[in-house]
This record gives sequence, C-alpha cells and structure tokens, in this order.
Amino acid sequence: MARFDSLVDSLGGTPLVGLPRLSPSPEVRLWAKLEDRNPTGSIKDRAALYMVEAAEQSGRLVPGATLLEPTSGNTGISLAMVARQRGYRLICVMPENTSVERRQLLEMYGARIVSSPAAGGSNQAVAMAKALVAQNPELVMLYQYGNEANARAHYEGTGPEILADLPTITHFVAGLGTTGTLMGAGRYLREKVPSIQIVAAEPRYGELVYGLRNIDEGFVPELYDEAVLSTRFSVGPREALRRTRELVESEGIFAGISTGAILHAALGIADKAVAAGTAADIALIVCDGGWKYLSTGAYAGTLEEAEAALEGQLWA
Amino acid sequence: MAIEVRIPTILRSHTGGAKAVQASGDTLATLIDDLDSQHSGIKGRLVTDEGALHRFVNVYVNDEDVRFTGALDTAVKDGDSVTILPAVAGG
Repeated sequence: MARFDSLVDSLGGTPLVGLPRLSPSPEVRLWAKLEDRNPTGSIKDRAALYMVEAAEQSGRLVPGATLLEPTSGNTGISLAMVARQRGYRLICVMPENTSVERRQLLEMYGARIVSSPAAGGSNQAVAMAKALVAQNPELVMLYQYGNEANARAHYEGTGPEILADLPTITHFVAGLGTTGTLMGAGRYLREKVPSIQIVAAEPRYGELVYGLRNIDEGFVPELYDEAVLSTRFSVGPREALRRTRELVESEGIFAGISTGAILHAALGIADKAVAAGTAADIALIVCDGGWKYLSTGAYAGTLEEAEAALEGQLWA
Repeated sequence: MAIEVRIPTILRSHTGGAKAVQASGDTLATLIDDLDSQHSGIKGRLVTDEGALHRFVNVYVNDEDVRFTGALDTAVKDGDSVTILPAVAGG
C-alpha cells in the first residue's frame, strides 16, 4: 500500500532488506529493518504515536494540553511531529550534548527545549523532567521509559512485521535505550519462535556521559525486563563508527551511529554461528538515518578523528 | 595473572584516580575480592550485602553483560577485559 490519509497513517510497514555483502555465508544471513523509513525518520515514531493515542483514549491527553518528555532526541522529534498534527504543545528536556540537528528539527516542529547539563547525561534529563511535572501538574509526561504503549508499539508492529518477512528468524538484535523495542518485539518473537535469541546492543559513551553522581542514582527504565533478553553487549564509539561506515560502504545504507553499534553485535553473533557451523537468520534494527549526526563529525575523516569528535556526546 | 578492569569516574576515589587497574581471579566474584584487597571499599560499591550485583551497576566481561553469563559466577581468565559502568538512560 502506498497511499495514506496522512503522514502518521504511513507509520510502520518498513522494509526488511538483506545485507548480502556483510553476511558471512549463505547460511548465516543478516537482515536490516529500515526504521528510518518512518514519518520523521526513526523507529521512535512508533512509540510516540502509540503513547499519544493511548493517552488520548484514557483521557489523560485533552485538546490544548502540553506534553513534556525527557529525550535525547529521536523520541522528541517523533512526539513533536505527532503533537503538531494534533494541536498539542511539547516541551523536551534534553541533555545539552546532543547534536545540533536534533535541536533544529525539534524547533522546526514547534517544540520547546529545556536543556539539562551534559555532565548529568540522560539520567539528569529524566530527573529534571520528573521534577518539572511534579511542580506543574498540568503538564502531561508520557514517559517513554515506563509507558507500556512504547513496548506495545513494537509488540503489535515491529515484531509481527519482522516475523512475517522472516519466518526463519533465529536472532533479533536491537538497541537498548528505553528498552521499548527489545521488550515489545522481543516478547512477541519469543512467543512465536521459542528458540529465538534476543540480543541487546547498548551504546557505551565517553566518560562525561556517565557523570559524577553516586552510583545509587543510576537509572534502569521501568519497562526493562531482563528475562526477555538472551544477552546484552556494550558497544563503544570506535566499533559503532566503524560498523556505521561499513554499512554505508558495503550495503549502501546510510544509518545513524546507534545502528553501527547494533550491527557490531549482530556481526559478532554471525561469527559465532559460522564457527559453530549453524545456520542463522539475524534480523537487526536500523534505528534512523545518518543525517542527524553529520555535524558530530562521525562520517568525516579517519575513525580516530571521528571517535575523538564523539567524545562527550550522546551519539545514540 | 592479570585482567584489566576499567573503572568508571565515580569509583576512581577507590583506585587513586586510576581509570584501569589489574586484578586476578577465576570468576568475577574472586576478581572483585582481589580488587577490594587492593582498593579497599570498592566491593561494597559493586555488590550488595546479599551478595548480588548492585541494581545500578553494570559489569561487562569482554563487552558482554555478566547478568546473562552467570553474574558473579561468570568465569574470567587472563587477557579478558572487565568494564564497570553505572546504568544510564537512553532514548
């Protein structure tokens, strides 16, 4: 289907494309789900639309309301688009060390940005957002980290789409942020394919991002359920950048940096399958395109230069 | 016997500011005991009184989260890399 009543109606139904040059053998294959083909260009459109619709149905979100959300970027951009279409205002609490493109896109969609300190990372953006909502109860925080509609978007959308396109799936690899993608699609796929491996790739940032707070002030999203995952890998900026570049060089897919981290984990799984002599169909998520990260320097110069440029930035 | 352990900023008060230190052990538990004998008090920051990893601490052996490989019973060997990080939000 290629005709839709409006932009948000075109959400989902993204293509799953093979990666024949990066796949190690005809028996061990990688498949990329192109989530950059969503209305604002990222997988977060799914969660944003589901969360807004759930809040409208429950009566929490009424015409003229103002949303407030802690976000490092993509969720904010998705919410801003949906909010503008439906007449809501949006305030994003965002760490100041996020890319300029994300800020410009948010402003273009009419969102207001409240900056949280770089040294506090996303944890502090979450804490600030919670404090603001406590002080201003008229604000509606959909709260992507604990909103079941975030995971449900993937349980009802992403997961079934992948299984329909790849019934022989053996592994699902996605990024771990709010955990919505992995919890939702992971649960669905586990129910349908009990032997499947659900693999999380978690970005490992530079030191600044982890802040100087007490370890007791750490953060685990309320949506997170360890039991859904088979394993979880930490991927640093060097590997994420290298794989992001390999993806565009060998397969022509221009993706954001978090996708490079996911591809790195997927290729590690693929190597293990080859070594074990088993067949594998590995589905991985392309979270967004690379456009919003051009100013970070990730795509220019040597890997060393790009890595140095990313230090201290929230690149996923 | 040496395994490199990367220490997050907030725990460097225990390691005299060192970003990475060497320790030894066969499992993550014995590695942390050895770490604590060299850098007093660090174990209490990582492991609860009940003997489990602290909820907001993530430990990775060769980049894999130990909660999926046996937690404190995860086997470690010379040449492995252990990374300790506080849990942070994404999204």
